[in-house]
Amino acid sequence: MSGTPPPAPHELRPWHTVADRIRVLAPADDAAGLRAFLDATLELRAEPFARVRLDTLGRLSAAVLADPLLRRDPASVALAYWLRPAQLARLAEEHARRAATEPDVLRVPAGRVLHLAPSNVDTLFVYSWALAFLCGNASVVRLSQESGAVVEALLRVLDAVASRDEELRATNRFVTYGHDDAITAALSAWCAHRVIWGGDETVAAIRPLPLPSHASERVFGSKYSFAVIDAERYAGAPGDERTRVASAFFNDLFWFDQMACSSPQVVFWIGPPDVSGGAAADFEATLQREVERRGFEPTVSSAVHRRSYAFGLAATTDVRVVLEHPGFVGVHVRDRMALDKEVCGGGLVRHVAAARLSEVLPFVDEGDQTVTHWGIDAESLRGFAALAGGRGLDRIVPIGEALAFDVVWDGFHLMDDMLRRVRVRGGDRGRAAARP
Amino acid sequence: MTSPARELLDLPPFGLSQAEKRARLLPMLRTLTTHHAERCAPYRHVLDGVFGGADRLRIERIEDVPFLPVTLFKTHTLASVPDAEVVKVLTSSGTTGQQPSRIVLDAETASVQAAVLVKVAQHFLGRERLPMVILDHAGVVRDRRSYSARGAGILGMAQFGHRPFYALRDDMSLDEEGLRAYLTWAAGRPVLIFGFTFMIWQYLVQALERGGRRLDLAGGVLVHSGGWKKLQEAAVDPGTFRDRVAAVTGIERVINFYGMVEQVGGVYFENPKHHLQAPIYSEIIVRDPVTLAPLPDGEAGLVQVLSCLPTSYPGHSLLTEDLGVIRGVDPEGTGMGGRSFEILGRVPKAELRGCSDTFVAHA
Repeated sequence: MSGTPPPAPHELRPWHTVADRIRVLAPADDAAGLRAFLDATLELRAEPFARVRLDTLGRLSAAVLADPLLRRDPASVALAYWLRPAQLARLAEEHARRAATEPDVLRVPAGRVLHLAPSNVDTLFVYSWALAFLCGNASVVRLSQESGAVVEALLRVLDAVASRDEELRATNRFVTYGHDDAITAALSAWCAHRVIWGGDETVAAIRPLPLPSHASERVFGSKYSFAVIDAERYAGAPGDERTRVASAFFNDLFWFDQMACSSPQVVFWIGPPDVSGGAAADFEATLQREVERRGFEPTVSSAVHRRSYAFGLAATTDVRVVLEHPGFVGVHVRDRMALDKEVCGGGLVRHVAAARLSEVLPFVDEGDQTVTHWGIDAESLRGFAALAGGRGLDRIVPIGEALAFDVVWDGFHLMDDMLRRVRVRGGDRGRAAARP
Repeated sequence: MTSPARELLDLPPFGLSQAEKRARLLPMLRTLTTHHAERCAPYRHVLDGVFGGADRLRIERIEDVPFLPVTLFKTHTLASVPDAEVVKVLTSSGTTGQQPSRIVLDAETASVQAAVLVKVAQHFLGRERLPMVILDHAGVVRDRRSYSARGAGILGMAQFGHRPFYALRDDMSLDEEGLRAYLTWAAGRPVLIFGFTFMIWQYLVQALERGGRRLDLAGGVLVHSGGWKKLQEAAVDPGTFRDRVAAVTGIERVINFYGMVEQVGGVYFENPKHHLQAPIYSEIIVRDPVTLAPLPDGEAGLVQVLSCLPTSYPGHSLLTEDLGVIRGVDPEGTGMGGRSFEILGRVPKAELRGCSDTFVAHA
């Protein structure tokens, strides 16, 4: 990044007028610095998967694991694991493999990415940003003004890593500001790609704000997720196997207060009805033992919230509510037709019996994202995905992986969003080869 | 249906020991459970769906009586009488932005409710209606079709006063001149003062302290209700509150009041030991907030309130979102039977961040 470009009229660089209303969270900066950053990154030239950037993320991974608060937060540990060099090397390989299939295509960074981070999944902004960073982009990441302790700790770690990292400092800003369309519009004018995480309402609020005509956009609306378990296989499984299922489900259920798009809201028990009831009851008891083994203490607020919610369901629909497990509430839905897609969160599991996997299909719609599964053979799952088809479903993964980040998200390969493909054909090969 | 509470109306409101009271209440609560199960479909569904079946209930102790979370009245209308018999609908907004509770009363429930409130209030305030100062502005009760929970509370209490005077102006400043004139009119008779706890603190105690002034309300009685949250934040405990009230007004009798629109008959005034006292129509249980197991006296948990009054809606057993602790039983030296307790605060609302709240402000 050489030399600051000459000052442009404010209408061309609208971020100049809003920068003093933006609070930079990391790396530490003021309004003047933010303006200079936004101007300078217009000229950014970088290449995907540069060594220097891979190293930065490796240091970030180590710093997350060294942080006393983050090392105790399983979602942050998962993030650190995803950022470690071996995992990033796999991403780089995937990039190289995809590039090799199109030898006449050069992948270059999209340029400048504006990320509007969700407030329900603390760690997601780091994944979204890290992918953009790996792909050689500059980023502005907007975070909610009301962040929890985990986000604050992540920002602290990012700031510390950035303080010794010129590349990170020069090309990234993590910021926050109030609900102010003028600021979002100004930052949108800066970016070449805008990512809106955060559900239907956020998408509806942000999408009307114009982007530069050459910019692209990816939006992630509200999603709904559920689990499917083969009741007979579960009922017939040895105790330690059933414990493993419950343990895996524990993460899916309790991370992010069951409020992430991928958090399972329903467990469909696939099999004969007489088996399903017993299997669901055993599953709840096993899950409760897992809650106790891990010393997980639900907050009184979520206990009160999910209980009130379950009573409301019982008052109007044909369900059996199980309150005996302190860690969560089980709602056994007798009438499948009464099943809605309202999200309670905070540890409420609906159980539904279905004789066959295909009986779940009518429940699937475009807002569905992740199906977690156990005990179901791969062919049936592929068949299920194919039949659901255009109606929805983005991921079908084993129980325990609901919240795992994947570069293919909601049906889109995020690396494709962060890179532009330049087709290069022809040219005289001989002269370039002759150069040293 | 005749309210079971009628059987108790001839007794003094604190005239049964805890053991006697529980023996009287148990069959009444059983009857009410059956009554509501037969007449209120959503209530029956809850008994079927949560408590193992309306027909299979075994209520051997008061702790076995099924309960509803009090918030259910915000999301559902629960009635055990046909619409035509509803004479009054009580509403309460609770916290700003929430849906109000809707409580339907028929003539029987409304009349027993009024009788019980009078009996309990008279126990503390005497039979004579005292000159009354309301620590609020008159606007809060002006429009009777839309008044708030605050307004409803004031109107409920105002019936125990004579020619009530609203001591705050519309801008919440203390109308000292008007108040002094009212006290002159009261001519030395004891005065009843009523208001919400934080308003008494902010607009009476602190306002007088700031101006370095006093009012002479010696011999009066102050009844206050509403949460302590704002006072706790200012590190004001009940003892400090009473002392500072006495210092600026001369009032020695300060009585806290607890109750909720969702449960008629659950009216709790502070006994002389400064604990809330359950009258004979009502029982208090404290439960573990997570496991719901009943807790021994002295342990803090979620407060369940039971009342033998309501026949028009299934509100005889409610699990509140208030945290409290049982402080005593048939407290010695008070001449009052039953459990006494203290309210410690409210369970904070679950902050479940949906994926939709990145940019959209929610109320």
